[in-house]
Amino acid sequence: MADAPILEVRNLVTAFDTDAGQVIAVDGVSFQCHRGRTLGIVGESGCGKSVTALSIMRLLPQPMGRILGGEILFDGRDLAQATPEQMYQVRGGKIGMIFQEPMTALNPVHTIGRQLAEVFLLHKTRDRAEALRLAIEMLKHVGIPSPEVRVGEYPHQLSGGMRQRVVIAMALACRPQLVIADEPTTALDVTIQAQILDLMQQLQAELGMSIMLITHDLGVIAEMCDDVVVMYGGRIAESGPVEAIFENPSHPYTRGLLDSIPRLGGQRKSRLRIIDGMVPALKDMPPGCRFQNRCPFAVDRCRKDQPAIEQVAPGHAVACHRWREVVAGAAVSATS
Amino acid sequence: MRDYFLRRLLLIPPTFIGVTLLVFAITRFVPGGPLERAIMEARTSETRRGGDMGRSSTSEEQLADLKAYYGLDKPIPVAYVQWLGKVVRCDLGTSHRFNEPVRDLITQRLPVSLVYGGITLALTYGVCIPLGIAKAIRHRTGFDNATSALIFFGYAVPGYALGAILIVFLAARAEWFPMSGFVGENFSDLSIWGKVVDLAHHAVLPLVCYAITSFAFLTMLMKNQLMDNLAADFVRTAVAKGVSFKTAVLRHALRNSLIPLATHLGASLTVFVGGSYLIEFIFDINGMGLLGVQSIFDRDYPSVMGVLVVSSLVLLTGNVISDMLIALIDPRVRFK
Ligand SMILES: Nc1ncnc2c1ncn2[C@@H]1O[C@H](COP(=O)(O)OP(=O)(O)OP(=O)(O)O)[C@@H](O)[C@H]1O
Ligand code: SF4
Ligand SMILES: [Mg+2]
Repeated sequence: MADAPILEVRNLVTAFDTDAGQVIAVDGVSFQCHRGRTLGIVGESGCGKSVTALSIMRLLPQPMGRILGGEILFDGRDLAQATPEQMYQVRGGKIGMIFQEPMTALNPVHTIGRQLAEVFLLHKTRDRAEALRLAIEMLKHVGIPSPEVRVGEYPHQLSGGMRQRVVIAMALACRPQLVIADEPTTALDVTIQAQILDLMQQLQAELGMSIMLITHDLGVIAEMCDDVVVMYGGRIAESGPVEAIFENPSHPYTRGLLDSIPRLGGQRKSRLRIIDGMVPALKDMPPGCRFQNRCPFAVDRCRKDQPAIEQVAPGHAVACHRWREVVAGAAVSATS
Repeated sequence: MRDYFLRRLLLIPPTFIGVTLLVFAITRFVPGGPLERAIMEARTSETRRGGDMGRSSTSEEQLADLKAYYGLDKPIPVAYVQWLGKVVRCDLGTSHRFNEPVRDLITQRLPVSLVYGGITLALTYGVCIPLGIAKAIRHRTGFDNATSALIFFGYAVPGYALGAILIVFLAARAEWFPMSGFVGENFSDLSIWGKVVDLAHHAVLPLVCYAITSFAFLTMLMKNQLMDNLAADFVRTAVAKGVSFKTAVLRHALRNSLIPLATHLGASLTVFVGGSYLIEFIFDINGMGLLGVQSIFDRDYPSVMGVLVVSSLVLLTGNVISDMLIALIDPRVRFK
């Protein structure tokens, strides 16, 4: 089963206990992440991208966060049912994670070397000297100059871009099969962003791992990803190969997202089209389709029935009652 | 690091001079000072004894001594420099309340305060840190709530009030503990072991009162700091590397949480030397607190200045020690 996906999430439901009662942050999400490929997850702030990632890593804030249902099949094993001890092996060893905030992601009171060596000591070796040697090697790998000096330094002595390289080094240290990167470049300067993304692509080519890349930047998706999942309000709106999503967006929300990115070259639009309206808060989500209050295609049915997932093409799925009209409408506007 | 340490040490003399100069000047302006008192006493004794010339000449002598010691005939700066010169030579003058060298008064009382202060410090930090950790880990459990109730009771009741209650119930009624004093009357006849037991027996109640003053504050500080740090990004990074919850707490969250406690150590040292006037008063302990406050009431300025010299020196060195501790824990301070 060499081509079985490394990660398959089925019907994941994740909830938080809040003072105002239980809120479902991720509601029946399913997707696959294939070996050696990059899956992008895109959507507006608050749509459940991070919660999905934290559910997979079983890192939900305790005791509020809970997986209510579904399966997280990683390499054939259901992580939703794994024991804490089994997760210690998975985290850092089989799945690495890169977080958004390089400024706070590292422990301010430990040296870079100690924090990086810790990963090796947890998964690879018991020998401290060996772990430190591997740490220096890994720092060199992620393009940090004079790593022998850097291992003795503390996070506050490094720039944001350098720290993110250290975080990447920690995530990739044990050559995991999957790396989950939750907005790895959002907090960085544009030039540094490009460097970090290049680095991730280069390391993926070398190490052959799969990447699950969370972002709300479709430009990043276009550049980095093979497949995309578009999320809205804790559910999947549309998913499929990157070309299919960009060339044949079948969900009104995806279309809105694509229209909102500035086009360089081509005919220049005088103003960016952004999607009007706001995402409803999780606790007062309407029945039916969650995009209804912002959707130009919305009809009565959308306010009653939750749209089922339908196949647009093999591997390309959409959750919209009127996706055919959406696709036809897109064709019309493209010719006009 | 060494520069930092040196800079902190070099700050001690100017701070010391500032504090003592201020109090020195105040003693010259506040009415009812030593000279006025001596003159008044001389007058009353003169009228009482009906012109007994011998008595009045002693007062005259005392007066001259006082004038010479304080340099009352000279301007403040000159007088202060003279006084400082004597202090450097370990001459703190003579207390006119006790008619004893102030140096002797202090050497009698300082050990008492140091014993109580030292044990109080060890006790509060030794209990508050583990208790705070346990409370943070078991946040909102029965254990946490029960200890919180106790802690807030302790917070609401001042040390001296608790002292009064303890004396009434545990010393006077139940006779489990002696009512007062640092040691029993037959202390010098006891064997070494007997001395230790006697000391401890006398110390229990006052120590409880001393400890309660900062107990609630330190415990809650520890708990809140640890909870904040447990939710910090870098702890999540550590867990994502595969460390267990226990390691995350002990290796990653704890050290960061100790920084504010180390900061507070400097302030905690006040009790170390200063003692507490009210607690010493209630338990009839001859410590520095009692000496200092009573000297102020009696305008016994040599004693006031003597106590000030000792306590400010201890406090200033204490602050340097606590700064050193912070620098040890927190590299961001060390490499500034
Ligand atoms: N600890 C929590 N308690 C309660 N609700 C939470 C908690 N964490 C997240 N949520 C809710 O879950 C929803 C999804 O949050 P999530 O962090 O996954 O969004 P996101 O897609 O990652 O957004 P962003 O782009 O801002 O990172 C949000 O609506 C949020 O209110
Ligand atoms: S289901 Fe209806 S409301 Fe939802 S996206 Fe499709 S058309 Fe719009
Ligand atoms: Mg997020």
